[in-house]
Amino acid sequence: MRIRTLIICFIVLVVTVLIGYKLGDTYLTGRTPVQPIEFSHVIHAGDNGIPCQYCHIYAERSRHSGVPNVRKCMGCHNVIKTDSPEIKKLKKYWDDKEPIPWVKVHNLPDHVVYPHKRHIKAGLQCTECHGDVASMPRVSRVSSLKMGWCLSCHMEKKVENGRDCWTCHI
Amino acid sequence: MKRRDFLKYIGAGVVGTGAGLAAAKIASPPGAKLIPYLIPPKDMIPGVATWYASVCRQCGAGCGILVKVLEGRAKKVEGNPLHPVNKGGLCARGQSGLQALYNPDRIVGPMKRSGDRGSGRYTPISWDEALKTVAGKLKGLSDDGNADKLWLVSSSERGHLGKLAEEFMSAYGSKNHIEYDLFQNKNLKYAGGVTVGTEDVPFYDIENTKYLLSFGADFASTWLSPVGLSHGYGQMRQGGGKKSKRGVLVQVEPRMSLTGANADKWVPARPGSEAILALAIAREILAKGYYRGSNAGAWKTLLAPYKLASASKATDVAAETISKIAYDLAKTTPSLVIGGDALSSYKDGISGQVAVNILNHLAGNIGRKGGVLINPERLLKAGKRAILKNQKMTRFIDASLAGNAKALIIDNTNPVFTIPKSSKIMQAIREVSFVVSFATFIDESSAMSDIILPTNTFYEDWGDDFTEPGVGMGVATIMQPAVAPVFKTKSRGDIYIALAKAQGGKLADKFDHGTFNKYLKKSWKKLYNSNKAMANSALTFTDFWNRLLENGGWWPKSTPRTRTRNVSVASVKNYLPKAAAKFEGDKSSYPLNLLVYPSTGMYDGRGANSPWLQEFPDTMTAVVWGSWVEINPKTAEKLKIKEGDTVSVSTPSGSIELPAHIYAAIRPDTIAIPIGQGHTQYGRIAKDRGANPLEILPFIEDKKSGELALNSTRASLSRKGRAKKGSDDSLVRAAANNFEYGRDYTKIISPAEFAKIGKEDV
Repeated sequence: MRIRTLIICFIVLVVTVLIGYKLGDTYLTGRTPVQPIEFSHVIHAGDNGIPCQYCHIYAERSRHSGVPNVRKCMGCHNVIKTDSPEIKKLKKYWDDKEPIPWVKVHNLPDHVVYPHKRHIKAGLQCTECHGDVASMPRVSRVSSLKMGWCLSCHMEKKVENGRDCWTCHI
Repeated sequence: MKRRDFLKYIGAGVVGTGAGLAAAKIASPPGAKLIPYLIPPKDMIPGVATWYASVCRQCGAGCGILVKVLEGRAKKVEGNPLHPVNKGGLCARGQSGLQALYNPDRIVGPMKRSGDRGSGRYTPISWDEALKTVAGKLKGLSDDGNADKLWLVSSSERGHLGKLAEEFMSAYGSKNHIEYDLFQNKNLKYAGGVTVGTEDVPFYDIENTKYLLSFGADFASTWLSPVGLSHGYGQMRQGGGKKSKRGVLVQVEPRMSLTGANADKWVPARPGSEAILALAIAREILAKGYYRGSNAGAWKTLLAPYKLASASKATDVAAETISKIAYDLAKTTPSLVIGGDALSSYKDGISGQVAVNILNHLAGNIGRKGGVLINPERLLKAGKRAILKNQKMTRFIDASLAGNAKALIIDNTNPVFTIPKSSKIMQAIREVSFVVSFATFIDESSAMSDIILPTNTFYEDWGDDFTEPGVGMGVATIMQPAVAPVFKTKSRGDIYIALAKAQGGKLADKFDHGTFNKYLKKSWKKLYNSNKAMANSALTFTDFWNRLLENGGWWPKSTPRTRTRNVSVASVKNYLPKAAAKFEGDKSSYPLNLLVYPSTGMYDGRGANSPWLQEFPDTMTAVVWGSWVEINPKTAEKLKIKEGDTVSVSTPSGSIELPAHIYAAIRPDTIAIPIGQGHTQYGRIAKDRGANPLEILPFIEDKKSGELALNSTRASLSRKGRAKKGSDDSLVRAAANNFEYGRDYTKIISPAEFAKIGKEDV
């Protein structure tokens, strides 16, 4: 093989690795991460119709919606379906006094602040950003969470100071 | 291109894309975890801040603060808007308190010395072992009948922690409790005792004054209570909140400070002659008949030696200037004279502060709104530890060198760094067979100890502060833990209680408080029961205590009381200077006066371990991350020194090397160095950075007040090397230079023109 061919091969390789990485990063990962426990929103929010804020209790009071504490899970699962393998995993976390290391589905960079409280006060439904979680056996991110996506909604709803940098980047 | 090659490229492309996708899968998020609480803490919502009212301990001013706590972590500090001292303001040092809490060099648990004293090498031990060792040593000492050979050198504490420490020492059987910090305004206090009969620092009502004459009081940076006084200054410049004339500020100091830079007139009097200048002004007030009080004849006789012509010569201030100041001071009502660290840091510094009070008396300012307001007696009476002669460090140094110190407790103060080397403080500590430190950091002093017991920062501890100076009324500020201790540290109060308990016998019986928190609450209940105003402010003690924690302290809802006090001729006649202050070093080999001053960010050196304070440009020179010596351009030209050159500053007590900064606002016969850098310990940020000017000062402690005469030496300068860009010891400034090249950034307007402008034009 000639040197020239080798060099071109190498350049093609580098370029395609970068393209592949970008593609993978954008489309293949992060949307539907595997969780430590196969928690199903279909069973909880769908079949049993538990309201979102029964578990995500801080959503209307804080910028964080809050992930339910382990005691809350155990409140029901001390008695409900205790023989299921997934609940046994939950029981083990509780017995070991370890919090469950859930994987973030909606992950914002540190320089953006998204206050759940304000959006709920403005009358937004959870599903408008999070999609129909009640039909997702494993939670998947349906919105891009990119700046353009935020802005398009802010502009469409004519949010006061909705285009101001400091509204989100505080 | 050959078909074969083309296929190779396609192959490489496929392999590359696949590898990229795989790499993305492996390396990219989701990596972030969402960790829930196992059991959520009560009354806490993640993402919603809780603000705790407390007191700032970054200097002695005692400002009220609010600490913002999110998920159990302190995130931000602000001034408490309800607090009468700082009224919601907080300085850079106060803001950077968080970097003391989270400092990477904090002591995380008890330690035992494993290297030589001063080396800073320690090995971790358990709290049990540490307390047992210290208690055992103390017990051994008192069993041998040597209880009076225990010494305690602690930071200055005006609250119940100081009281507890004092009780501990007296119950143990030792009178050797010294409260030591570098800046304690001892000459100011002593002069207050001489002239107006109280050593409590008075309240300087800058807000309502119309003419402020300051002798080296840099209240905009560090003096006394910088946030409170700066607030008053701002009000004064706007006519005291009313639509009256704006007040005038005249600053007398050889080196222009930030306060001097804000003044209407800067009077660079010759160093050491400020007291003479003050008394010449006083004599002029009498000679011109401006004085309206009693005893004019006796005052005239007393001040007769301070003639205008000779004073003008001694102080290097024009006679007309002295007359003008005398006229303005006496004819403006109300006016105010203050004297700062620079004035009291000469030999016989008391005389300067006495002269300031004479001026205040002659101008009729003592006890008047807009003048000097005598504070009422403090809510918590200061004990024996507050008596000035008990606070002298020579007591310890002399005793130790004579073999009369067998054990030493150093509690959150750093005398090794802040006392000149010539004091033999190091030898004195080495002589002590057992040294224990209660400390947050390994600094120069705690590095000398055998055992270190790590203490909470003021964000993690209980306590209180009875602010000095008050604001014409008593102010008590409560310290409550905003966060749980980040590391395995203990409350200073709890350590005293634990050590007393371990002694057994009477001492243990006396210290049955349980915890310092309980002691504090019990003591406050006593105060509440004995203080009418407190008892009237709330129905029950529980109610009172809860309000105390909510508001951050207690202060009466009244305006400051005005009580006239006269200064008598008899009281001051022994405190008048015969001549300008004397200096160490003869004029021929040491031609320059050396001034040292507390740096705005580092204060007495305790700020040097905070990156924020290192990074924040010095207010006058814009230097960051280092120290420097300020030299007048004329002097620099004569010595062929250029900006950033390394120079050696020598005094009869030693020499240091540091970069030069050419500073136009200093007398040509004077050089100045900020205090605070040049640490040999104190963590990775402070260590080996800049130079410590205190090292080359003579050790002169005032015999009466105990204040260190820091500005009492001459120095010589010599150039060591040319400026090197980018080297570790070079001068780094946030401003490129001092010139604006005709771009007209700084607008200049005369006071007369300014007065003509209507409010709407500004």
